[in-house]
Amino acid sequence: MRNYDIIIIGGGVVGSAIARELTRFRLSVAVLEREGDVCTQTSGRNTGMLHAGFLYKPGSLKAECCVEGNREFDRVARELDVPFKRTGKLIVGFTEAHRRRLEYFIERGRTNGVEGMELIDRARMDEIDPSAGGNFAIYCPTSGILDPFIYTVALAENAVRNGARYHLYTEVTGHEKQDDGTHVLHTLGKGDFACRWVINSAGLRSAKVSEMLGIPGHVLQPVKGEYFVLDKKAGAFARIPVYPAPTDRFTFDTHATPTVDGNVLVGPNSVNVDDGEDYGVSQAGMDGLQESGERMFRHMKREYYIRTFAGARPKRVDPATGEIQDFLIETRDDVPGVVNLVGIESPGLTSALPIARRVVKLLKERERLEVKADFNPVRKGIVRFSDKSREEQARLVAENPGYGEIICRCETVTRAEILAAIHNPLGVNTVNGIKVRTRASMGRCQGGYCETRITAMIREELGVAIDAVELGPKGSRMFTGTVKGGAGA
Amino acid sequence: MKRVFTCVVCPNGCEIEADYEGADVRAVTGNLCPKGRDYVVQELVDPRRTIATSVRVTGGDQPLASVRLTGAIPKARIFDAMRAINARTLAAPAAIGDVVIHDLMGLGCDVIVTRNVPKV
Amino acid sequence: MTHRQAIIIGGGPAGLAAALRLKERGVDDILILEREHRLGGILRQCIHDGFGLTRFGESLSGPEYAQRFIDRVEAAGIEAITDCTVLDITPDKTVTAVSRVHGFMQLEADAVILTMGCRERTRGALATPGTRPAGIYTAGVAQSYINLQNIMVGREAVILGSGDIGLIMARRMTLEGAHVKGVYEVQPYPSGLPRNIEQCLNDYDIPLHLSHTVVEIRGRERLTSVVVARCDGRFRPIPGTEEEIPCDTLILSVGLIPENELSLAARVELDPRTRGAFVDEHLQTGVPGIFAAGNVLHVHDLVDFVSLEAEALADSAAEYLKGGGLPACGLEVKAGANVGHVIPQKISGTRDFTLSLRVRSPLKDVRLTVRQGDNTVLSKKLRKALPAEMLQLAIRAEKLSRDADVEVSVE
Repeated sequence: MRNYDIIIIGGGVVGSAIARELTRFRLSVAVLEREGDVCTQTSGRNTGMLHAGFLYKPGSLKAECCVEGNREFDRVARELDVPFKRTGKLIVGFTEAHRRRLEYFIERGRTNGVEGMELIDRARMDEIDPSAGGNFAIYCPTSGILDPFIYTVALAENAVRNGARYHLYTEVTGHEKQDDGTHVLHTLGKGDFACRWVINSAGLRSAKVSEMLGIPGHVLQPVKGEYFVLDKKAGAFARIPVYPAPTDRFTFDTHATPTVDGNVLVGPNSVNVDDGEDYGVSQAGMDGLQESGERMFRHMKREYYIRTFAGARPKRVDPATGEIQDFLIETRDDVPGVVNLVGIESPGLTSALPIARRVVKLLKERERLEVKADFNPVRKGIVRFSDKSREEQARLVAENPGYGEIICRCETVTRAEILAAIHNPLGVNTVNGIKVRTRASMGRCQGGYCETRITAMIREELGVAIDAVELGPKGSRMFTGTVKGGAGA
Repeated sequence: MKRVFTCVVCPNGCEIEADYEGADVRAVTGNLCPKGRDYVVQELVDPRRTIATSVRVTGGDQPLASVRLTGAIPKARIFDAMRAINARTLAAPAAIGDVVIHDLMGLGCDVIVTRNVPKV
Repeated sequence: MTHRQAIIIGGGPAGLAAALRLKERGVDDILILEREHRLGGILRQCIHDGFGLTRFGESLSGPEYAQRFIDRVEAAGIEAITDCTVLDITPDKTVTAVSRVHGFMQLEADAVILTMGCRERTRGALATPGTRPAGIYTAGVAQSYINLQNIMVGREAVILGSGDIGLIMARRMTLEGAHVKGVYEVQPYPSGLPRNIEQCLNDYDIPLHLSHTVVEIRGRERLTSVVVARCDGRFRPIPGTEEEIPCDTLILSVGLIPENELSLAARVELDPRTRGAFVDEHLQTGVPGIFAAGNVLHVHDLVDFVSLEAEALADSAAEYLKGGGLPACGLEVKAGANVGHVIPQKISGTRDFTLSLRVRSPLKDVRLTVRQGDNTVLSKKLRKALPAEMLQLAIRAEKLSRDADVEVSVE
């Protein structure tokens, strides 16, 4: 049985942020993740926004963590070498009712500590983004866009570099408490794990895991959101996130957001669902996104469709009223050795490190944590050929011929980058794992050219058998075997 | 009985209507040349096909050589032909025109390599 | 910076034919840049026969057809760099490329010949509802796995789209023991050639369902089924006609898109009808000295026509390279009644040229007319005309004048 000081259940952005923060101390830390990679669920199925924090109730954890996470992100992005653009955001309005709502949120933003928000007129809007609709708008300069996959991967890699262990394909199925207070976690096919502290960061499954750990009664309502991803050609027209005025439920309807790589996301919509992990996209959903997308963004055209995807927000609700609740980050005296995170939805991405620090604080209140002198907060990512100038590209190719071979034509991703991704510190070997680390297959041909090469490289580099190559989720086998001649190819 | 065939002999792809009873072809219309008539008669009496597939190659710079038949065989024998071809493995180098199986199943045509596979 | 006379982007059938003809016409400094490890383009994986019927009078497989040209290119000493990807082309014909062996290259060309072929339309572009499990492949990718890598993609397949590649893969997968449950086509007529319907579907009792499409994809990790439905005259699924088809593989054959990203970089204007370049009778694009032929110009169905088109391009490119220019083409060639697209879109009216076109929908007993003002340039009876079969006609200069646009119609 493997023994750790701390086990985190869930390898999403919050679980990985917690792992990373915990490796600042002399503790053995492990993350148990049921899928074959980090960031496969809610963490990777969102708009990629660094929120400013004006939406949330003053004094709430959502407000505090969001503003804190927003303020520090330039430094975080530098430390972890992750793509980030502090683009600012426009929230546009057309009517007097909109104007009142926008003024309300400026005030709320001010209360929450969001800096620089102002109500601007059409003339100022034209300076910032002439393609944005509306008669007036909130300009919120602190909002930004990031790549949630690379951010989560970076947190995880930095955690691993500093001594944390990730156990992938490891689903927690049961829990026992030993007499001396040790927690034992049973898993599906991966044996037992023991630890002093269990941190529940299981996202959509956090209510179930909470009950498993001895804290029943939390209720999650998954709310599904569907998205379109549009071609970078459409992205050329979307400089800055432009949102419609928030609804009276303090949410945003469908909007068009540029991504940090230059695509555009149109969405999400909001539908209450029973199964948060059914990520199918519906015809009705797409029709609705098309319609409202066209209203918000002139270049919402079929010819720019790259793909669709869906996610689900794990909203914690009051069991009696159904009202949506704040983040829950709790420890309970009657359930020692557990830190319980339930309902970490938006702004979870922005709040990941602030949440992690609050978890550390809860641990510090109960035991002495010794700081590690050799903790290194810096993580270097895979050098991206496509980001470089022609001179830099020439230099890269001269140093490493692997940069001279383009594997993904649409996104200009080289063999050197694919190799680096294949040999990633977490041991991920799926096609999607390579995709999110390099952007290969994210372009307009969706792997039409590169997928055959990427699967061949996975097989060659890692010795994965043909019928074991997986697209992404556990069990997503791509091939049935050889055509001729039995096993070998 | 009447049936319309699309002739595959040349790119014209004539739509040919045949009036027939069993193997007795009464009339053929719509063909631009006599080959079309021959094709239709053959189709009715003894349809034939050529097939293309692949064969495993060992020691080559790629795992497969593509192959095809040099002539048409009875349609009904296609899967027998596949079984015979699947039983073969070539050792590189393989060159276009190499005979993989001579006189396949005694049907009068060969299986030949159609893609060069040099030794690795 | 290195200077080359003619740089050919793409060493498939179009690029190879162009290279050979350029050499024959006295152009000595030719460089083919090919991103694959070997020359031959898409033909390498098209192992079925039917290639070369008109060019060679034989029914060859794709690799054999390609090898005929590759052998001659090698014999002629024409330089080709494989494993080389072009990153950029500028309007002044500077080509930026990378290769493992040659590193980072910037080359100035007198003429650039675009022969990059095409890519396949994706599931994402179709926006088919449902999940995104493993087991969904475009037909060309499945063909590459099966015919080049010795990898079988699945056992129980449904094919969406009756384009030729889908039909060919229906047969290929069946021969290798898969069960192809059906081909579903949203149009009321097949997209592919009749002989492929015959030899790929009918021969194997694979049903073709016209006016049908896939309305949902199911399966979380691997595909478990698709839901198909019948469509109305506007391609909209008819509620109540849905049927779930269990399968582990969905093959998409739903369209080819000329691969013109580099053309756009060079500011070559594209025709939305073809999604390839606007070209004149010299197969020259709107950028002087940049030419295009083959699938990158418009999607072909017969490689023999690709070779002819590339050779016509090379004749013009050679003239351009020797003389420094080509006669202006100020007359438009318009796609009239029932015509989907025409190539070229501009002519001079002073030269012979080859007119290529596709009709919009299947027609029987019609007349193809090429008109210039009041003058009938060409009139030809057609027993049938299918969108799947590109028509190519020789237009004689003596029938043309220089003073009016040309219109092509099929009625």
